[in-house]
Amino acid sequence: MNSSGRRGVVSRLRVFPLLTLTAFCIPILLGLAGTWLPAFGFLPVIGADQLSLAPFRELFSHPAYPGAMRGTLISGLGATILALACSLWITVTVYGSTLWRLLIRALSPLLAMPHAAFAIGFGFLVAPSGWLVRLVSPELTGYTIPPNWLTVKDPYGVSLTIALALKETPFLLLMCLSGLNQLDMRRTDWIGRSLGYSRVRIWTRLVLPQLYSQLRLPVLAVLAYSMSVVDVAMILGPSLPPTLSVLVDRWFNDPDVHHRLLGAAGATWLLVMTAEAIVLFIGCEWLIRHLTVGRLTDGSRTTPLDRLRWLGSVSAVGLLAISLGCLLILVIWSCTGRWPFPAPLPTDYSLRFWEKGLGLAIGPLAITFLVAALATCIGAVLVVGCLEYEVRLKQQGRRPDSQWVLWLVYLPLLVPQIAFLFGIQTAAVLLQVEGTLASMVGIHLVFVLPYIFLTLSNVYRNFDPRYIRVAVAVSGAPVRSFFQVKLPMLAKPIAFAMATGFAVSVAQYLPTMYLGAGRFMTITTETVSLAGGSDRRIVAVYALCQFLLPALVYGVAIFLPAWFFRNRKAMQN
Amino acid sequence: MSLQLEGLQITFKGRRLFAPVTLAIPNGEIATVMGPSGCGKSTLLAAIAGNLEHGFSVSGRIVLNGRELNGTRMEERRVGILFQDDLLFPHFDVYGNLAFGVSGKLDKKERRQRILEALERTGLADFAHRDVATLSGGQKARVSLLRTMLAEPEAVLLDEPFSKLDKPLRASFRDFVREQVAQLTIPALLVTHDEEDSCGGIICRLGGEEDR
Repeated sequence: MNSSGRRGVVSRLRVFPLLTLTAFCIPILLGLAGTWLPAFGFLPVIGADQLSLAPFRELFSHPAYPGAMRGTLISGLGATILALACSLWITVTVYGSTLWRLLIRALSPLLAMPHAAFAIGFGFLVAPSGWLVRLVSPELTGYTIPPNWLTVKDPYGVSLTIALALKETPFLLLMCLSGLNQLDMRRTDWIGRSLGYSRVRIWTRLVLPQLYSQLRLPVLAVLAYSMSVVDVAMILGPSLPPTLSVLVDRWFNDPDVHHRLLGAAGATWLLVMTAEAIVLFIGCEWLIRHLTVGRLTDGSRTTPLDRLRWLGSVSAVGLLAISLGCLLILVIWSCTGRWPFPAPLPTDYSLRFWEKGLGLAIGPLAITFLVAALATCIGAVLVVGCLEYEVRLKQQGRRPDSQWVLWLVYLPLLVPQIAFLFGIQTAAVLLQVEGTLASMVGIHLVFVLPYIFLTLSNVYRNFDPRYIRVAVAVSGAPVRSFFQVKLPMLAKPIAFAMATGFAVSVAQYLPTMYLGAGRFMTITTETVSLAGGSDRRIVAVYALCQFLLPALVYGVAIFLPAWFFRNRKAMQN
Repeated sequence: MSLQLEGLQITFKGRRLFAPVTLAIPNGEIATVMGPSGCGKSTLLAAIAGNLEHGFSVSGRIVLNGRELNGTRMEERRVGILFQDDLLFPHFDVYGNLAFGVSGKLDKKERRQRILEALERTGLADFAHRDVATLSGGQKARVSLLRTMLAEPEAVLLDEPFSKLDKPLRASFRDFVREQVAQLTIPALLVTHDEEDSCGGIICRLGGEEDR
């Protein structure tokens, strides 16, 4: 055994986890500290140098605070519970069917759709003057002018909750799918049913208890995201008052610099609320586990829930239909010349808004592409390096604690963005890197890295190490073996993970706003700012551009490896 | 009464997997279906259990104790299965795995008694609250069979259950299976590619159609 040589490679590979940790721990820690200090009244640049609780007192007595809290809690907890219930029930009842296979195919485009584009399409569907009302008016409703409803921007945040739940369900479905791939589903189902258990019982007693540990962190990420999302809440959320995250964002950008302290206090409070919600979720999970553990083996074969199986198919079809509707309505509006109210379709089509919109969007699109491509490539190198390091460590018989690594990877997804971006902005200003390409790529990297890691890690870890052993034995060149054997064999999952990272970068709104210093307008920041009150036709063009960029990259990521290995049957799957 | 297969055959996309199988397995006996790997042995078991994958279709009759099984739902067939992997549920202990098999219609005391009795009878009495991951291969195989048997199936299918065990373990587990089947007096169907695995009952050879 040439163990000293191997150890040398491993210790050189150690640079990757160290770099990766630096890439996301430093910004987050810096950002949190830079937000906590002003939250306690310390921000010397504006002359505040006395530590005090005044910003928090001001926050709690602010007239908008109770309403903002209500909106945040309803949409955050509601969307998470709804998305979890929906994705689990769909998985339980539809798994293995034709509908399930259809759903799995639709997952990539659903995930590629940025939140802002989805929210805009959803708004175009359900607004009082939206497509749904138009389709049935005036025949069923009698409306010839849009009704005076509050179906979007309702004060309780119901439309925001539903839109977030619909957008997060595909993500949780994907996580269910990858968890299920690690269980022997066919034979588990066979054993359960041969013992006489109904399908739902098999899931609740055999599958979910094993699956949920894989689902826990994704669910918490959805929770943290839903509690603190800004762009979707600006498009669909309540406005007077908005959710806490939007309110905090406004305070941070208020011309009155004194509001920075209030914003920092709000951001910190949102962090506390998110942490409490996470603890609450884990507590509920613990409680449910302990209350049901005895009943799992009580031998009862059927459950009244068996009768609700249709609900899963209905949810799956509904999810697909609404998502397709969101996309379709964007396409229709982008090609509309004239569409007077209650006509079910435009009375006049025109491509002039595409001509006008594309001309304007091309600059932001280029910047979006540049930042996303750089962040994705750096992210992919770091992730592959980290995973390779982990694999080599395991080969040496050392066991890295993967659970701990996972929590670390999830860290940027569990901390509300707004709770640390202001601090990073302050630090960036001090270091004079605000508004540079490096800082933009750096901050996008923080959010891109975890997704690349999560998409790639399972496949990478399961790569059969014997291929490399054979390659090294034949060629005697470990480095060349890695590049010529392992990377090409993993080209497909790596390309897919990179496409996911790219889509995540494209969809970023807050990081671009806080570190771009107004110099970096991405397609997302432009789309969100237009969504406020511009012509629907131009908004639709922008939203479609925002969707098409990641969709194209997904397409390339799926097509290129398939084309490259078109004559290699074993590489097709 | 027994398990009868009458002219059972399976087709996949119009192609027949093997010549029609006709078999009658009396209670308490283990019939063996032999054949090279890939000839459709496991698919035959899936057809009897009612768990054929999408695209397969079955013709001929499957009759268990006078009940025709064709077309009935899998969970109503009362046909147990044992795979070469133990497939013990990792989130339950040994007792939990066995309890999962016992009918829920019995009262708590009765259930408990049956499980402890089964453990006692098979020399596993001290293992009730052991994590299944800590058992040896032979113990896992026995617990797995007990779980199947405690559900009181009317027939049991054995899908190469010995192939992952070491030589000495094989013989003792084979005796164990034979004992359990005799005790419940139900028909059992074993599929294997290895002559030595046969448990002494009827032997039926399954030939790949296309190869002949």
